[in-house]
Amino acid sequence: MDLVVQGIVTGVLIGGLYALMALGISLSWGALKIINLAHFSFILLSAYVVYQLTVTFEVDPLLMTIVVVPVFFVVGVLIQMFFHWAKVDEFKSLIVTFGIFIILQSGMQTIWSADFRRIGSELNTYASGSLTVGGIPLPIPVLLSFMAASGIAVVMSLVLARTYFGKAVRAVAQDPEMARAYGVDTRRVAVLLSGLSGAFSALAGVFIALGQAIYPGLAVSWFGIVFSVVILGGLGNTVGALTAGVIVGAAAGAATVIWGPLAAPLVTFVILIAALLFRPQGLLTSRSVA
Amino acid sequence: MKSHKGWRYLAIITVMALLVAACGGDGEGSDTTATGGTDAPTDTTEPMTDTTEPMTDTTEATGEPSGEPIRIGGTLSLTGFLAPTAAIHEAVGEVFVERINEQGGLLGRPVEWQVLDDESVPDQAAALYERLITEDEVDLVLGPYGTGNITAAMAVAERYGYVFPHHTASLTYAYTYACHFSSWSTGLHPNITNPNLVYDAIESSGSTPETIGFVINEFPGTQFIAYGQPETDEGGAVAEAENRGYDVVLEVAFPTAITDWAPIASQVADADPDFLYIGGLGVDASNLITAMNAIGYSPRGMFTQWDAPGPLLGTEGSNGVMSVTIFEQHPPFIDDPEVVEVAAEINQALADAGIPFTDVETQAAASWTAWEYLQQAAEGAGSLDQQAMCDYLLENGAQTLFHGDIEFFPDQQNYYVDLSKIKQVQDGGWYVVYPEEFAAPDRSVIYPIN
Repeated sequence: MDLVVQGIVTGVLIGGLYALMALGISLSWGALKIINLAHFSFILLSAYVVYQLTVTFEVDPLLMTIVVVPVFFVVGVLIQMFFHWAKVDEFKSLIVTFGIFIILQSGMQTIWSADFRRIGSELNTYASGSLTVGGIPLPIPVLLSFMAASGIAVVMSLVLARTYFGKAVRAVAQDPEMARAYGVDTRRVAVLLSGLSGAFSALAGVFIALGQAIYPGLAVSWFGIVFSVVILGGLGNTVGALTAGVIVGAAAGAATVIWGPLAAPLVTFVILIAALLFRPQGLLTSRSVA
Repeated sequence: MKSHKGWRYLAIITVMALLVAACGGDGEGSDTTATGGTDAPTDTTEPMTDTTEPMTDTTEATGEPSGEPIRIGGTLSLTGFLAPTAAIHEAVGEVFVERINEQGGLLGRPVEWQVLDDESVPDQAAALYERLITEDEVDLVLGPYGTGNITAAMAVAERYGYVFPHHTASLTYAYTYACHFSSWSTGLHPNITNPNLVYDAIESSGSTPETIGFVINEFPGTQFIAYGQPETDEGGAVAEAENRGYDVVLEVAFPTAITDWAPIASQVADADPDFLYIGGLGVDASNLITAMNAIGYSPRGMFTQWDAPGPLLGTEGSNGVMSVTIFEQHPPFIDDPEVVEVAAEINQALADAGIPFTDVETQAAASWTAWEYLQQAAEGAGSLDQQAMCDYLLENGAQTLFHGDIEFFPDQQNYYVDLSKIKQVQDGGWYVVYPEEFAAPDRSVIYPIN
């Protein structure tokens, strides 16, 4: 029983990381109708940048957050400006961002080679650290990512619900033409939201770099689980993404302990299929921008 | 979101994910040359003179090659999930081709290496070998990297009767082609010899584990070593441990693409075996050790099958981890000055390729040896006749730089004996610790770790 509890708890925490990776995609897809596959490359690129800066300057990798988050905010802004200029719609976004994904993946392989990279334990004390609560050790990297995801999900939910920017985002998501007619600067809203999406990808990259070895092909392994979280949570729904991440992580963690690791992906996708059949609009649609 | 829309986009995304997983981000059949670029093939046409004796002394300059280049074709996983290790084979191949051209070429002719990207996909590897042989009409082929790719490509080589040297394929029982030559000398039954080597090494410390736990990647090669050949279930690390009286207290199989190691770490901690046997690849052990550290658990002894050596060294808690190797860059393996020279060239090539861990170990050594097989087969046969080359190797074996003389036993599916050794992380480096005669100076097995 202790093992199951441990599996669920760590699953919940790693669900936070999934949610953090999914937040940007969810917002971008829900509000801007951009299915941004390049988001996965941004996460990995952020992890590489954190790795490189950490080993080059021998600094605390967590400090690199203050570097990569603003940089990737700008990247997100530029990407959205490009989408706007190129008149990229929902379907085209799949193709365009897939191309960007491929280009960035090849670029990362060219710069850092195909080999594994990992911040050494002498510089990364977080990787093996844990906080014990109630006799259950909570690994620091996933604990931090869970806290970050929770904070962002709640704050973004409040922003979307209670601020002018949030109302503008929802208006853009529901009917861009009408939003424009009512004086909403839709382009500015989209650019800002895309910037936030980029910043979230950067933050996810920080926690990836803290917790595991990275290599150019790593991003591919995130596709299935992150899109499960996005769809399960409901498009544009930040709290939904967090909830979905927690559910998927906990279920996978419990399945790993009870039936073995091979059952974890099976359980994840059974949940996704069940959600698509019975809750295709997502778990918490009332908070969705879409 | 409308439900039908969700399904539609999910389907598209799934297809794209599969496409990315398959292609790993590069175009189909992108060529790389002996000089390591990713453009169209270029010839390496250094002058040479004819040589007819097997060349184990690669420092011996024999003149400039001339005439039509001998084109050697092959694939490597330049992209995709095997790319981290394939990059080592690419760098080593470039060094070998450069050296052979500097030292007179092959049969007096310059050598050109045409390597295509199989994208870590066995079907793609098979298709590209078909193309190399039938369309590009290469003179010789060298195997790709990775068990699946090698297995797929070997079938093509067999169909066209090409001699097929290859490195680091793990399903030894599956390779029945009469002209395949593995440069990874594990013997035909590594599922028996490898685990027993590990257990002998542990027991050489004077301590014998009473309990043992297994955490095994579902990859076919690691499954074979852990559980034996599927049809016979003969041998395997689990059965061999039981034969020695170790109590198996944990058996966990995990998928190749796993993102959450914490539940497995918890299971290991709960079982608390005296020794943990990880059937790991890539960074499996590294990730598991990190997850175990995070819950405050440190095994008393650990072994990992084929983890990448570099990342493991940088992992906190890796001290004392054992693994198998066929070569390490320390005495007595580097007693020969030529080994030192070639190893230094490979170190530089790996560094130039941006690979962080540049020591020559199993992958680089096996890669070099596969090239030596091909070179000696052609020079021994005195021609590029595939059957003559095959016969030459079967009759004469090969003289290799990193492993000494190798024989090929047809009754063992051309495998030689298992040349594996046990290495261990000690003081931040990898050192061979068993058998004793191959151990690094002043090094021996440390068990238990704590």
